[in-house]
Amino acid sequence: MLLLLVAFLALMAAAVGLYALSVRQGGGRWWGLATLTVVFVLAGLANEGSWTGIALLSLAELAAGALILSDGGAPARAAGRLYLSAIVPAIVLTMLAFTLVGIHGAEPGGITAKIAICLLLVGFALKLGLIPFSFWVPAVARGAPTTTAIVIISIVDIATFGELASLRHEAAWLFDDAQAVWVTLALVSMFAGALLAYAQTDLKRMLAFSTITDLGLLVLGVSLGTPLAMAGALLGALSHALSKTVLFGTVGLAERHIGMPVTLETRGLGGRMPLASAAFILAAINFIGVPPGFGFSAYWRIYVAATDFGGVAIIAVLLVVAAIDLLCYARAIHRCWLGTPQVELISALPRLAPAVLAALVVLTVALGFYPRPVTSVLEARPAGEAVHVTSNALPSASEQGERLAALH
Amino acid sequence: MITTLLPSPAFWPTALLFGGAILEVLLAGFLSSRGKGWLAFIATAAALAASFALLPAVQGGAHLEATAFLWDGGAPLTYYVDGLSVLFMIMGTALGALILMFSIGYMADEPSGTTRFFFLMLIFIGGLTLLVGAQSLLMTYFAWELIGLCSYFLVGFWYARQEATDGARKVLLITHIAGFGFMAAILMIYAQAGTFIWSDPKVAASLSTTIVILLLVASMAKSVLFPLHTWIPEAMNAPTPVSALLHSACYVKAGVYLIARMYAIGDWHPAGGAFLLVVACLTMIVGVVFALAQTDLKRLLAFHTVSQLGYIAAGLAIGTDLGVAAALYYTISHALFKGTLFLCAGSIQHATGTRDLRELGGLYSKMPVTTWVWLIAAAAISGVPLTTGFVAKWLLLSAALDDGQAVVVMVAWFVSILTAFSFMKATVSAFYGDPSPSLAGKHIHEATPTMQVGMGITAVLCVVFGIAPQFLMDPVIAPAVEGLGFNWQIATSWGGVLTRAGSIDVSLGAIGVIVFSVVAAFGAYQLTRSRPGTAVNVFTGGESLPEGDRLSATDFAEMAEVAFEPVYKTDPDPLWLRFGSWLGAVAGKVGQTALWAEDKFIAVTLAGAAVLCVWILAL
Repeated sequence: MLLLLVAFLALMAAAVGLYALSVRQGGGRWWGLATLTVVFVLAGLANEGSWTGIALLSLAELAAGALILSDGGAPARAAGRLYLSAIVPAIVLTMLAFTLVGIHGAEPGGITAKIAICLLLVGFALKLGLIPFSFWVPAVARGAPTTTAIVIISIVDIATFGELASLRHEAAWLFDDAQAVWVTLALVSMFAGALLAYAQTDLKRMLAFSTITDLGLLVLGVSLGTPLAMAGALLGALSHALSKTVLFGTVGLAERHIGMPVTLETRGLGGRMPLASAAFILAAINFIGVPPGFGFSAYWRIYVAATDFGGVAIIAVLLVVAAIDLLCYARAIHRCWLGTPQVELISALPRLAPAVLAALVVLTVALGFYPRPVTSVLEARPAGEAVHVTSNALPSASEQGERLAALH
Repeated sequence: MITTLLPSPAFWPTALLFGGAILEVLLAGFLSSRGKGWLAFIATAAALAASFALLPAVQGGAHLEATAFLWDGGAPLTYYVDGLSVLFMIMGTALGALILMFSIGYMADEPSGTTRFFFLMLIFIGGLTLLVGAQSLLMTYFAWELIGLCSYFLVGFWYARQEATDGARKVLLITHIAGFGFMAAILMIYAQAGTFIWSDPKVAASLSTTIVILLLVASMAKSVLFPLHTWIPEAMNAPTPVSALLHSACYVKAGVYLIARMYAIGDWHPAGGAFLLVVACLTMIVGVVFALAQTDLKRLLAFHTVSQLGYIAAGLAIGTDLGVAAALYYTISHALFKGTLFLCAGSIQHATGTRDLRELGGLYSKMPVTTWVWLIAAAAISGVPLTTGFVAKWLLLSAALDDGQAVVVMVAWFVSILTAFSFMKATVSAFYGDPSPSLAGKHIHEATPTMQVGMGITAVLCVVFGIAPQFLMDPVIAPAVEGLGFNWQIATSWGGVLTRAGSIDVSLGAIGVIVFSVVAAFGAYQLTRSRPGTAVNVFTGGESLPEGDRLSATDFAEMAEVAFEPVYKTDPDPLWLRFGSWLGAVAGKVGQTALWAEDKFIAVTLAGAAVLCVWILAL
C-alpha cells in the first residue's frame, strides 16, 4: 500500500516538475525547496512507522512552509505565516501524542489514551485543514504560487493523510475510542467545506474549500476503519492528488495567461484554452466522484462503509454534500470555462503544461474505466482474509441485523 | 447457460462500440470527417449484428451470464443478458447506426470536433449496452452516469455557444442529482442484501418502498417524467443527431430500462405502481400541452418526447404482461418515429438554417423526401393505423382496459388528439403553404443521400412494424417480457390486432370505431369544405372569413395555448431556481462566517480544539 502511495506521489512530483518547467513560478531557491519537500515526503513515507519517518514528514511540512515564503510576495508571505502557524503547533501536538503512546500505539488506557487522542486529532485536523482548523488552506491556495499550492495540497497533504491512514492500521484504538468525534469532524468538514466552496467567487479559493470537503471524506473513510473504507480512503487520496493537481494547474495556467485571477466573472476560457478546459472539466468530474472518473472507486467504497455505520441518515448527508459539490463545479465549469469567450490571452500558451495536465486526466479516466491495477494492490489481503464487499459475500446474521437496525 | 470466457457473445456489442471509440481517437489524424463517420457507423452496425446474434439465446425467458475480467478490486465485470437486455441493445445499436449514417453527411462540414463527436456517440451507445448488460448494480450505476456524461458533453458540443452550454448544464444537474437517488437505493440494497448483484434473490427481499421510490425518481429524471422533465427542451441546442439519439434510444430510454428491470429484481409494483401511474398520466398531459405552445421545431419534438414517455411509463405502471409488452413495444416504436422526426428536423435545419416554425413553410417542393419521411413519422406518433404508433397505443389502451384503468384510457385518448393537432400544426407550418419570406434567397436543398437513407430506413420500419407488429412482438418483445418473469399470453396479428381469447371483441369493436371515425371525418370534411366562389363554411359569430380562408390546426394550437394557460404554470423550473437561490444565500452566510473565522483564526482554533478535547474526555 505504502509503495503505491510513494509511487503515486513520485508521479505527481514529476508531473508538477514538468508543469513548473513550463509555467515558471520560482527561481533556483524554489526548485531547491520543492525538491527538498518532495524528497522528505517520499523518504518519510518509505520510513513510515518509525520516528525517522515521522521526523521526515514533519520536515517536509516545514519545507513546504519555506517553499511558500520563498516567493517573496506579500500574499505568499502572509500565506506562509498562516501555514506555519498551523503546521508548527500541529507537529508539536502529534509528536507529543507519539511520545505519550509510542509509535506503534499500544493503548495505554485511562486519561493518557484520551489525551493522546485529543493531541492527534487536533494535530492532524490542523495539518489537513479540517473545519474549524482550515484557516490556512484558502490563504495558501490564493496567496502562494500555483505550483507551490499544488505541492502542498496534492503531495504534502496526501502524505500527511497517508501517515494518518497508517496510524489507523498501527493503533486502531485511537480512532475506535473516539469514533463519533472523528466521524463528526469529517462530516462537518465535508458539509461546511462544500457550502464554503459554493460561496466563493474566486476559483482558487473555491478549489481550496472543496479540498477540505474531500479531505473530510477521506478522514471519514479512515474513521470508519473497515477494510473497504480504508481502501476507499486511500483510493480517494490518490484521486484527490490527481484531480487537485489538474484543477489548480489549469486555473494557474489560465491566470498566468489572462493576467488576472479567475473568478466567476471570467467567461469562456475554453474558447481560448480548449485542452486546459477539457482537463479542468474531466478533473472536476473525477473529483466529485462521478463515473467514469477514478474517484468513483473511492466514493462507492466509503459510501458503502458509511451506510453500514450510519444508515440512511449518513447516506443523506453524503449525497447532499455530493450534490452541493456538483452544483459548485458545474457553476465553475459553465461560468468560467464554457460559453462565449470574453477573455484574451496576454501571452502564448506553452505546450508542455497543458499536455502534462491532459496526460494526468487521461490517467484518471483510464483508471476509472479499469481501476483494478490500483484497487487490487490496496485490497490485497493475506490468504483467507476476504474482502466481503467486492467478492459479494454475504455479511453474517448479526451484521445483517445491525444493518437493518441502522436502516430502520 | 454460463460462460466465463472473455469473448462471450454477450460482450461483443459493448466491446465493438468501445473498440470503435478507441479507433476513432487512434485514427483521428488519418481520417476525414466522413471517414470518422463511416468508422462509427461500421462499429455500430457490427454491434447491431452482435446484438441480433444474442436473440436466440434469450428466447423463452432464458438468459446468458458471462464474466469478462476482474474490474474493480475483486469485483468482476459480469453480464446478465436476457430478453430485456437484448431488446435495448438492438434498439440502441439499430437507431445508433442509422443516426450515425445520417451524421456522416450532417457533420461533414463541421470545421472541428468531429473526432470528439463520433467518439462520444460511440461511448454513448456503448454505455447503453453496458447499462442493460451489467449484472452488478454498481456497474449499472457506472453506465448510468457514463451515458449521462456523454449526453452532457454532446449537448454542449458547441461549447463556445452559451445556449448550448446552458442546456448541457441543466442536463447534468437535473439528471445527475436525481441519479443520487439511484446511488442511495443501491447503498440501501447492499446494506440489507449484502450484494450488488441484482439477480440475487436477496436483492428482491431487500426492496422497500423507499428504495423503490428512489429508483423511480432516478428513472423519472432520465426518462423526462414530470416534474423532472425540464432539462430536455433546453438540450435542443445540440447537433441534431445527438438530439435524435438522446430522445430515441440512448438516454431517455435508460430510465425505462431501469423501471422495467425492477420487475426482474423483485415485486416492486405494490410499492410504486400507483405513484408511477399518476406521474405517467401527468407527464402525458403536461408534455403535449407544452408542445402545443412551441414554435421551435426541436423544442416541440422535445415536449412530445416528454408526453410519449408518459405513455411508456403508464404501460410499465399498469404492470400486467400486456402492459409491460405495450410499454416495451412503445419504447421501440417511439425510438423509430422520434428518431425519424428529429432527423427530419435536422435536415430542415441543415437546409434552411432555422428550425423556427414561423420562419419555415413550403418545404415540400424543395425537400420532398424529407416531407414524406416526416409525414410517416408524424402519422406514427399520432397513432395512425398501419404505423407502429397505432399498434403501441392499441396495446397500451388494451392493457389499461384489461386492468380497469379507465382514467388512463381517457388521458391517453385525449393526449393523442392533442398530439395529432400539434403535428398537423408542425407539418403545415414547415412543409406546406407559401415559404416564409425569411427563406427568400436561401439555397434550400434536399438532405444528402446518407441523411436520406438514415431517416428513410427508420420511417420504413415505422410502417413495416406497424403492418406486421408480430415480427417485432414475437422474437423481441416476448423474450423481454418473459425475462421479467411474466407469462407471455399475447398474440398479435397484422395491423396490431390482438388475437388472444378475450381480446378479439375489443379489437373488433375498436376497428369499428376506427372505420366509423374515418367515415365521419371524411363526411365532416366534405360538408364543411368551402366551394369556390362561396362563403367559408365556418361559424365565426356572424363575420365571414375571406374567401379561401379557413380555421387550421395552427389556429387550434393558438386557441389551445390560451385554453391551457393554467397548465403552463406547472413548470417546475421556478421551484428549482428558488432552491438554488436559497442554497446560495445559505452558502453566502456560511462564507461570511468563514471570513470572520479566518480573521480570528487563533481564537477559532483554540475554541475548536477545546470543544473536541472536552468531547473526547467526556467519552
